[in-house]
Amino acid sequence: MRAGRLVRVWAAPVLLVALHFSVRSRLGAERFAPDFLLLALLIYTIRARPGASAAAGFLVGVLGDALTPASFGTGALAHTVVGYLASRAKAVFFAENLLVNGGLFFAATWLRNFIVALGSGKLGGPQLLWELLVWSPLEGLTTAATGVLILAVFRPWLSIRLGER
Amino acid sequence: MALGADRYASRGDTVVLLCCVALSLVAMSLPDGVRVPVTSGLRRTVLWPFLQLQARFEQVRTSQSRFAEVVAERDSAVLAATFLRELQAENARLRALIGLKPRVGAGFVPAEVLHQGTVIDRLTLVISVGSRAGVDTLATVVAPEGLLGTVSETDVHTSVVTTWANPEFRASGMAADGSVYGIVAPHGTKGPDTWLLELRGVPYRQVVPVGTVILTTGLGGVIPRGIPVGTVIALASESGWERTYLVRPAVAPGAVTHVLVLVGSHAADLRHAFFPDSAKVARPDTVRRAVAPDTARRRRPVPRDTGRRAAPPPPPDSVQPDSAVPQDSTKQP
Repeated sequence: MRAGRLVRVWAAPVLLVALHFSVRSRLGAERFAPDFLLLALLIYTIRARPGASAAAGFLVGVLGDALTPASFGTGALAHTVVGYLASRAKAVFFAENLLVNGGLFFAATWLRNFIVALGSGKLGGPQLLWELLVWSPLEGLTTAATGVLILAVFRPWLSIRLGER
Repeated sequence: MALGADRYASRGDTVVLLCCVALSLVAMSLPDGVRVPVTSGLRRTVLWPFLQLQARFEQVRTSQSRFAEVVAERDSAVLAATFLRELQAENARLRALIGLKPRVGAGFVPAEVLHQGTVIDRLTLVISVGSRAGVDTLATVVAPEGLLGTVSETDVHTSVVTTWANPEFRASGMAADGSVYGIVAPHGTKGPDTWLLELRGVPYRQVVPVGTVILTTGLGGVIPRGIPVGTVIALASESGWERTYLVRPAVAPGAVTHVLVLVGSHAADLRHAFFPDSAKVARPDTVRRAVAPDTARRRRPVPRDTGRRAAPPPPPDSVQPDSAVPQDSTKQP
């Protein structure tokens, strides 16, 4: 039973991590390709407590920052905040609706990019506006669409069961 | 367990959040001397399998794109090679035409074939010379390989050539040794038959072996004598007292780009122009008289152990061979 539960919990995130490092480069420009790592974090937060989600966000952010060392720490901060808030939001909304989840994915992506853009201090003026008003929404849309698809496919495994943590 | 109450943030969650935020801020403020080893260590350890995965996929992607490039390069090379062969063939045709000119002598006009757009056009071709150059209707048009057709229409600068593939084409033909005569005409009007000729009206008692070169006879005064028309490839039919032979044309109209239009006297014999060493063309066994079966039975058999074949007697009008059967082979046992 425990092994089955572990598989149910980790199958989608592991798949998303693998997708992030394999097919993401083929899905168009990196500016608006779906962020599978963020999606894995957000799906993890479906079942996790806010504290665990924040820690997971921090880990994901640090690992992401290791690949983009120029803004080291910014991603960690952004993912930490996004993970914590996503977990809190799901607890508040108790969202089982795919569209609500899609909205959460979109908002989380945009918020993550917003924090990274501000925290890194490398964007300003028109560039920042373009990032926040064009590229981030586009990335949020693709990420949300991918997330909804993943949730639809893994719905039996990802649905929250009462009495189960 | 009640899910909602369990998932609301507790104090512990808040502490974890604050710790993570603090660590993030620390990470943001790390100097390069510390940050670089940390990020490098993460890439060498935790991220290494993921980076390997990404590298593999990039290799596959690169291999696929490289494969596409190689395929494109190969296709380009094939295309270039195709053109190269075409250029070589055209070069060879031009050289042959240049070689043909002095042998034909005076009385020709060189021309280029202007239009080969469709298959139908191969029945008639447009050439780049007309009446201003002295071309008249019924002028003979030849390629280095042999007869292409006759001029059917002329204007000032161009002419229309009716090739041998046209159903209306007729020419008097003969075997290269002059022993067999017949009428050369297109074999058919539809399908692959369009691209074959036939030699009609060959007397039943005359056998034309496969490989015999058919030349024009010059009879009728339109097409000069001695122009290659084609090569016999098979017996097509026997009807009554005559035979019809299939002839592979000497000239493929679709491949011709340059021609000579003969505008001089039609009485000339052009065999020497197409076959400078004409003895090779007229082989002694090109045409042999058909022997009646009873006559054949009266012949003395050839001993099998000699391994020699009895050569048929050469026809009176055939050219003696220069590389025929060895002398001793011709002896009757």
